[in-house]
Amino acid sequence: MATKVTIVMPGERVTAVEDVAKGKRVILGPGLRRVDDKVVASKAGPLRHKEPNTFWVDSYQRRYVPARGDLVIGIIRARAGDLYRVDIGAADTASISYLAFEAATKKNRPDLNPGDLLYARVLNANADIEPELVCVNSNGKRGKLGMLQDGFFFKCSLNLGRLLLRENCPALTALTDELPFEIAVGVNGRIWVKAHSMRETVGLSNAIMALEQAGYTEIDQICSNLGDVLQA
Amino acid sequence: MNNSENGKHSKEGLREMRCKFNPLSRSDGSVMFSQGATVVIAAVLGPIEVKTQNLSIEGSYMECNYRPKAGLPQVKERIREAAIKDVLELAVLSEAYPRAKMSLQLQELEDRGSIDACALNAACLAMLIGGLPLKYSFAAVHCIINEEGEFVVDPELSETKHQRASFTFAFDSVDGNLLLVQTKGAFKVAQFNDIECICRSVSAEIFSFYRTTIAKYHSRSAEQSAATKEQSSGLPMET
Repeated sequence: MATKVTIVMPGERVTAVEDVAKGKRVILGPGLRRVDDKVVASKAGPLRHKEPNTFWVDSYQRRYVPARGDLVIGIIRARAGDLYRVDIGAADTASISYLAFEAATKKNRPDLNPGDLLYARVLNANADIEPELVCVNSNGKRGKLGMLQDGFFFKCSLNLGRLLLRENCPALTALTDELPFEIAVGVNGRIWVKAHSMRETVGLSNAIMALEQAGYTEIDQICSNLGDVLQA
Repeated sequence: MNNSENGKHSKEGLREMRCKFNPLSRSDGSVMFSQGATVVIAAVLGPIEVKTQNLSIEGSYMECNYRPKAGLPQVKERIREAAIKDVLELAVLSEAYPRAKMSLQLQELEDRGSIDACALNAACLAMLIGGLPLKYSFAAVHCIINEEGEFVVDPELSETKHQRASFTFAFDSVDGNLLLVQTKGAFKVAQFNDIECICRSVSAEIFSFYRTTIAKYHSRSAEQSAATKEQSSGLPMET
């Protein structure tokens, strides 16, 4: 991957993937599709490869497309029978059953109202049906999922969301050195933060939004600036 | 092909192309694109929610809006809009997002000739940067036959004053098939064929422009670290 980056354009045959596919099964990620026995790109951008067999086309897309297993932040829009409609920034509103919360029963409904924030996992994502969310894992425990109370919510690019969720992301470790806080990051480009005071929360969200324009080397600087700003 | 002795442009082909990605903050992808002095802003949204009356379970619904520099769109703009929509419907991989809408907005900023071709090329770049799935990219070339019977590729507005005929061709990037033909005026079939060949060869220039700008955009974003901290110009970039 460190070698020369190949840019693919829509409609182009990607022979690099086809060569690998001769030996083993390959996984085609976003921006690649199979047409008969050929692999063809459908988006423009650099071709990425992750060992052993995953390929995708990198892009700075700003619209979220749901995928199974994604962690997202949604806003409750309405309640419809035994479902809640949730806006997750995708083409369709998502739905979540009121039974998909920890310890929820038919008698004991979760108390959610339009406008509430929800940190949830995408259970079902198919182009033909609306996405479905859950707030529990397969053992029925909520973990970190559920309603987000208080705090501050803002939108960012999809890339920033993915960057923060990356393992060993330098930004979050640098920020935790400065002050204690809670954060929920959705891969749909939505972030919720909560610190002890309003002032800290706002400073924190500004620091995170500044990361958007920053490169890797500037992360430390921005994060330490936050400490200075809050002490002043 | 006798394009070498025709017109002053046919030597170096198209006017200079420039583009700036994501000048608009709220769209899913936008581009300010210019060919010479003709400038267009194109923005895409998608996939987004669609009105029930336009909903299709087979594929996505394509919407295209073209705004003139001043005033409301008139018949001329509507024709342009319809032509662009037709090309997009061919190029978009609509089955990727059924029950959704893809929306393209075009704003003309300056029309100094070849606006049809410029708008189509801007539309393609916006789709590429917005990450919408395409079967192929496309490029449009405008060409005229002037009073002396010479072919002028991508003419200035002043050159089109006394034209005998004008042509706009759009080609796809994979097989080079024709996606759109618009002609006006009187011409011979042989001239039509010649101009089609010229435009086809010139379209390669546009495709390579797409590739280099996309490549630059991605390399820039990857190594943004280099002392560029101007807040506004972080994501958008100029080429």
